Amino acid sequence: MRKSRLLHFLVFMLPALALVFVFVIYPSARTIILSFFDEEGHFTLQNYKKVLSSRDTINIDGIARGEFPLGTLLHNAIWIAIHLPFTTFLGLILAVLLRRTRGGNVLKSFIFFGMVMPMIVGGVMINFLFDANVGIVNALLKFFGVHPRTWTAHPETALFSLILGSVWLWTGFGMTLYSAGLETIPKDFYEAASLDGAGPITQFFKITIPLLKPITVVVMTMTLLWDLKIFDIVYVATQGGPGGASNVLAIQMYNYAFVEFDYGKAAVVAVLLTIFTMIAAIPLIRTVGEES
Amino acid sequence: MRKFALLIAMISVVVLAKLVVIGPWSGAEQEKFMPVLKAFEEKYGIKVEYRAYRSEDLSKILPAQLNAKRAPGDVIFMWAWFIQDQAKKGNVVDLTGIINEEDYVPGALDAVKVGNKIYGIAYTGKVKPGFWYRKSFFEKHGLKVPRTWYEFKALLENIKHIPGIKAPIASGDGVGWPLSDVTEHFLITFGGPYVQKDLIEGNLKWESNTVRYAMGKLVELLKKGYFGEPTEWTMALKQWWNGDYALYFMGSWITGMVDDPKDLGVFTLPGAKGVVFGIDYAFIPKYSKHIEEAKKLIKFLATEGQIIQVKQGGHMATYKNVSLNDYPPVDREVAKLLRGMKALPDLDDSVGGIFQKTFWDQLKLLWVDPDRLDEVLKVLDEKMEE
Repeated sequence: MRKSRLLHFLVFMLPALALVFVFVIYPSARTIILSFFDEEGHFTLQNYKKVLSSRDTINIDGIARGEFPLGTLLHNAIWIAIHLPFTTFLGLILAVLLRRTRGGNVLKSFIFFGMVMPMIVGGVMINFLFDANVGIVNALLKFFGVHPRTWTAHPETALFSLILGSVWLWTGFGMTLYSAGLETIPKDFYEAASLDGAGPITQFFKITIPLLKPITVVVMTMTLLWDLKIFDIVYVATQGGPGGASNVLAIQMYNYAFVEFDYGKAAVVAVLLTIFTMIAAIPLIRTVGEES
Repeated sequence: MRKFALLIAMISVVVLAKLVVIGPWSGAEQEKFMPVLKAFEEKYGIKVEYRAYRSEDLSKILPAQLNAKRAPGDVIFMWAWFIQDQAKKGNVVDLTGIINEEDYVPGALDAVKVGNKIYGIAYTGKVKPGFWYRKSFFEKHGLKVPRTWYEFKALLENIKHIPGIKAPIASGDGVGWPLSDVTEHFLITFGGPYVQKDLIEGNLKWESNTVRYAMGKLVELLKKGYFGEPTEWTMALKQWWNGDYALYFMGSWITGMVDDPKDLGVFTLPGAKGVVFGIDYAFIPKYSKHIEEAKKLIKFLATEGQIIQVKQGGHMATYKNVSLNDYPPVDREVAKLLRGMKALPDLDDSVGGIFQKTFWDQLKLLWVDPDRLDEVLKVLDEKMEE
């Protein structure tokens, strides 16, 4: 009987396990091993030393002067610090405001377009948005007397322009998840709160936000992962420039691998990204565990 | 049955003997290349398919394919440093004996040789002669071609005050090569033609006084706002043609990209003794399935093909047997401008790799923040060492 169960287990699990091994476990292990070896195949920590001491990763001069580039590690951190709260908060607010608004679903669809769009196209659109000649951002700023400029071409504004562009592209994700989450909150809670004299703001903070906590964890974790692996829109819009002012870890990894053909250094960045991603994924795994 | 199998085999050979050429030209440039391939098809009865890939993109995917002993094309146009690098790895077909080195501009094949063996052909090249202007624009505003550096600066100041002008010189952008072209012109003019070669070979530091002096001249103009903000280069071309800018530094291919090439004029920076002659190189990957046919094509491209190509405009031959009469009038003007000038290789195309990408990126920074010249030169030295 036990043998039969084991056989069934293997029959059903083996294809999936084989795929996981071939496409996840083996490449991950190979990348980690690669990061510790030089081109001649000798064990070394030089790859880590080179990457972590590189101006591309942490630019001490730039940090001291307060000028971009600051290094990819800090650029990714800035990306997370701005993009994560913005998209989460905007997603929640839009979901709540558009829930009962007439035509709200149509508006939600428009906002969700950013998510549906391939990020390569998103990068091109960000370029146009912030362009001095044809950009809508400059057209709006002209009303306030701001001289038109290509915001992605200047080191002090390039990264922030990309982050704002990605807020526009990613907000639809949070909004959609929150919209679904709002439908799961029983109306009775709000009715009871109204009877007790609670206003909309109190209801929002005392009912909506606490009950949407699992959704918030998912939105924040997924956004964090997206921020860590951000590549396409940066590559298309600025290629990490000017002068590395908008460079991020994923672009750095790509350059090491496919411009320098230094796979050891590329593997180091990949390992770093994996570590950061795993740290970011822990809250999500815990929440899923608690719920189950 | 045997006859049928033989027939199938023959059909297969004919079908399979379709050569794939990969080149960097698309749009108007591609249209001017297609007559060359058509002429080859008619002469040899071998079908050719053309695929456009930017060299920047190809450089990222091709090494992996060649390492896996696969070839995406039978004849591939690529940077010289890349061909040389792959030849050293044994991934390129030896073309020694296919073409005669003496039939080409001196030194044209040096960049694709390993020892005495030739691994690539020198096709036509593009000269990057200087600043292009519209003759009608200069006539309308009473502007004259400068003969000295001071006249050049006075010209820029005059242009700056013309109503409707965004900036005197358009700055082409994209991946970054238009900025590197104009920078190289300043280096050659104010550092001398040998600066270019010394920088390529790593014999001169970017932080040296020679380079700093030449770059200082460029920075002087940047600080005065004579250069426009970097704009995608084809968009900048349209803006320049429409009168938003008066001057545009670009290669000779510009003659094939404007509505009226007769209205074009060009001048070098006063005092320039050399210009970049960027040659297009091609090679046959060792893993091509039709090496013999590909050799026929590559020989055709290197010889007769060049005559057809220069007739289309915008290209300069490296093959000495191309007559001056084969060139359109506007290209003859460029040829005249080059008299007495030293032809030099393109700096970033010759060095390649991470330096090329960094060079383009750092120049984008310099263009919008010229005060950071020291930092730019320092980074370039670091990347050159790598």
